[in-house]
Amino acid sequence: MAKKEFNVKLYGILSIIFVALILGLLTVRTFITRYNAFDPGKTASAYVSTIVETGDGYGAYKISLLSKNSKFGDFIRNNFIYPEIYENYEPGSSTKGLKGLNDESLKGEKTKNDNGALEGELIDSMYPYYKSLIEANNGWDYYDIIFKSYISRLKEQRKEIFGDDYFDDETFFTCIESNIKTYGEELTGTEDVTDKNTGVQISSASVGEYQKKYGDDYRFTVEIKESKDTDVIADTALYDISPDSIKGEKEMILTVRCGEETVIDEIKVYAVKIGHSWFIDNINTDTGILYNFYK
Amino acid sequence: MGNSEKKKYMKKSEIFTFGIGLFGVALLTGWMPDYTQTYFADFAFKGKGFDAGVISANISTVFLAAGIIGAVIELITGFLIDNTRTRLGKVKPWIGFGAVPMVIIAMLVFCAPDTRNQTLAIVWMYVIYSLYTAVGCAVERPSECFGALCSPEPSERSTAISIASFMKSVGQSGGMVVIMVVGIIMKAVMGQQQFKNAEAQGLDLVIATAICALGFIIFVMIFFINNKERVPYTREKVSLKDAVKVVFTHKNLLMVSLTKLTGFGRGVYGTVSLYIAIYLLGSKDLKLALLLPMGIGTAVGTLLVNFVLKKFSTKQTYILFCVYGASTLTILYFVATGIGFRSELIIPFLILNFFCGIQHGNTNVTPNIMIADCVDEIEYKTGKRQEGLAYAGFGLFAKVASAFTKALGPWLLYTWSGYLASTDANIAYAAQSDSTLNKFLMIYTIIPAVFVILQGVPIIFYDMVGDKKEKITKALMERRAAASAGDADTPQEKTSENA
Repeated sequence: MAKKEFNVKLYGILSIIFVALILGLLTVRTFITRYNAFDPGKTASAYVSTIVETGDGYGAYKISLLSKNSKFGDFIRNNFIYPEIYENYEPGSSTKGLKGLNDESLKGEKTKNDNGALEGELIDSMYPYYKSLIEANNGWDYYDIIFKSYISRLKEQRKEIFGDDYFDDETFFTCIESNIKTYGEELTGTEDVTDKNTGVQISSASVGEYQKKYGDDYRFTVEIKESKDTDVIADTALYDISPDSIKGEKEMILTVRCGEETVIDEIKVYAVKIGHSWFIDNINTDTGILYNFYK
Repeated sequence: MGNSEKKKYMKKSEIFTFGIGLFGVALLTGWMPDYTQTYFADFAFKGKGFDAGVISANISTVFLAAGIIGAVIELITGFLIDNTRTRLGKVKPWIGFGAVPMVIIAMLVFCAPDTRNQTLAIVWMYVIYSLYTAVGCAVERPSECFGALCSPEPSERSTAISIASFMKSVGQSGGMVVIMVVGIIMKAVMGQQQFKNAEAQGLDLVIATAICALGFIIFVMIFFINNKERVPYTREKVSLKDAVKVVFTHKNLLMVSLTKLTGFGRGVYGTVSLYIAIYLLGSKDLKLALLLPMGIGTAVGTLLVNFVLKKFSTKQTYILFCVYGASTLTILYFVATGIGFRSELIIPFLILNFFCGIQHGNTNVTPNIMIADCVDEIEYKTGKRQEGLAYAGFGLFAKVASAFTKALGPWLLYTWSGYLASTDANIAYAAQSDSTLNKFLMIYTIIPAVFVILQGVPIIFYDMVGDKKEKITKALMERRAAASAGDADTPQEKTSENA
């Protein structure tokens, strides 16, 4: 009986098909598991967790309706920064050809020669103001007030430190994001930081508000207590989203715990489905309690 | 038999598909280490509340452990390859049948378990990456060995190896293109912010890995279907003692392997490139601009070697490129010190970087051709053909050399140069003294130049060239012709039937 030859071609083709199927399945599974926007509960939990863990309401907006049509950074540029940089700027219009405060000719000597020290001074000087804004507004829900006030103060403060009128979006993002990080570190505490290459200590450890209240090994968990369809209407026009594109709306009640202790029993979060993705309805969701529960 | 040197054994398409195969292997193996590190550190367990310091420390040891496992598996694979005798040949089954598990395990590296148990997460990192390294070695090494088996005719073999090496070097950077394209497509499909959110979960890495893995299996299978081993394996079993002996006692093979050790410091420039970009060229963004001309130079050099090899022997070519490499690095040093560390330096620095990159083409190609020649010499002397161990031995020396480079680079940069770290949270990079800046430049140029010369030293004692090589090639051809006349059941004949 003749021995059958091993069919190399058939094996090669079957291997490609088999592997393509496995890769496809693993990729889809991983995407569905990790990408929160496909699930309203995960989206709501991520929104609440971001704020609870570091007081970062700014970062939480990245999964809200506000960021549906444009990058969060572009939303801030178009609506709050560019109107301060360019005279008569209309949100959404192009900045091409416009001359404003970000013109290189406005840079003074201090700006040109700064090695980061003056920028650091600016960031540090803005922090108390940032903190006062968050406390006065009970968090980040009134983002328009926060952005407008912060930018206005930042322009003045920058002029005082650098001695010129130059102002650009980078200055804003560097400052506010550093302030948000510092605010988070006041809650969570920090550890000693050493340069990993040279072993030189860069900063010392600090104890955060959460550690004082809940101990060193605290860990927050966020759970969905209740989830139902709702008739609460999201204000989509504010973000240029057509109401017809909304395929579903949910109202969810979430519980925040630290270990066994319930620190927030009820935070109501609204989410809206557009296409296959869920977005937090940031207008109807009140997050004030998430900034005060530890006090 | 007088014209046997000129005889073509490979179909034109085979030379191309050998390159395609190595391109596919490099697409995945070039992608995995760096992006696995990024994935483990930044995305795999994001939001799980794990101790970042503990995870970070473990990632370093995961790679150390995987490196040790890889070195051991490399030798074992080499030994097993040399004892493999199948109708498909001795190397092809490892590539064809190892590719499927390798690609699936590679994908699983980017599918972290959804756990809040830190110990379990750490164990998973060790297990999955060690497994990938082990299976990866068992496929990658045989794919390189194939060069020694693709043709019994040395010049045809050299051409195939140099073209395949070029495609391999292109494949190694393929992942960077894939991740860029994946980003563009995801942005277009999902929207800017939604892409950012997905990117924050490492999902672009997952998709890019799947694409690299799919490319790997397609290209490797094209190679597996189209290419044949054309040098028949020898019948004698290789003992473990012989295996170890061949790696460390065969003079020419040892000399080629020693180039890795004597030249280990030529790679320290990579450690300092970020600081060259910041302090000497003025912006850390220029790091990529620094590496790009060098990468292009390497690709050009890989092709150039093939032309030089038509005029000169492998030994002459290797030494010529070493002298050239050391010269360009020295010129770069003097040009940089002559112009001074200011913006006018950027353009000449980047141009010279391209010329410095050309020498790397030699180290990518010529040793592989030399090893194939050494395998012929070993077969001629012992009657045993040991591609597996010859390439595994070279790979082992390369791994040891790489460990030395990783130790020397940071020592030169952070201790010898007198580097000052910034202690001001608002200043990323502290000002450095002129002496430190000059030492940065030396780490990038003069020190690698010294090692480039040192890597050429062992090759002075390499003698598998000229008349000796011709005599051995001729004798082996006669031996094989006699053997195949007496034994029709060689893999060459069997695989010819399949083709």
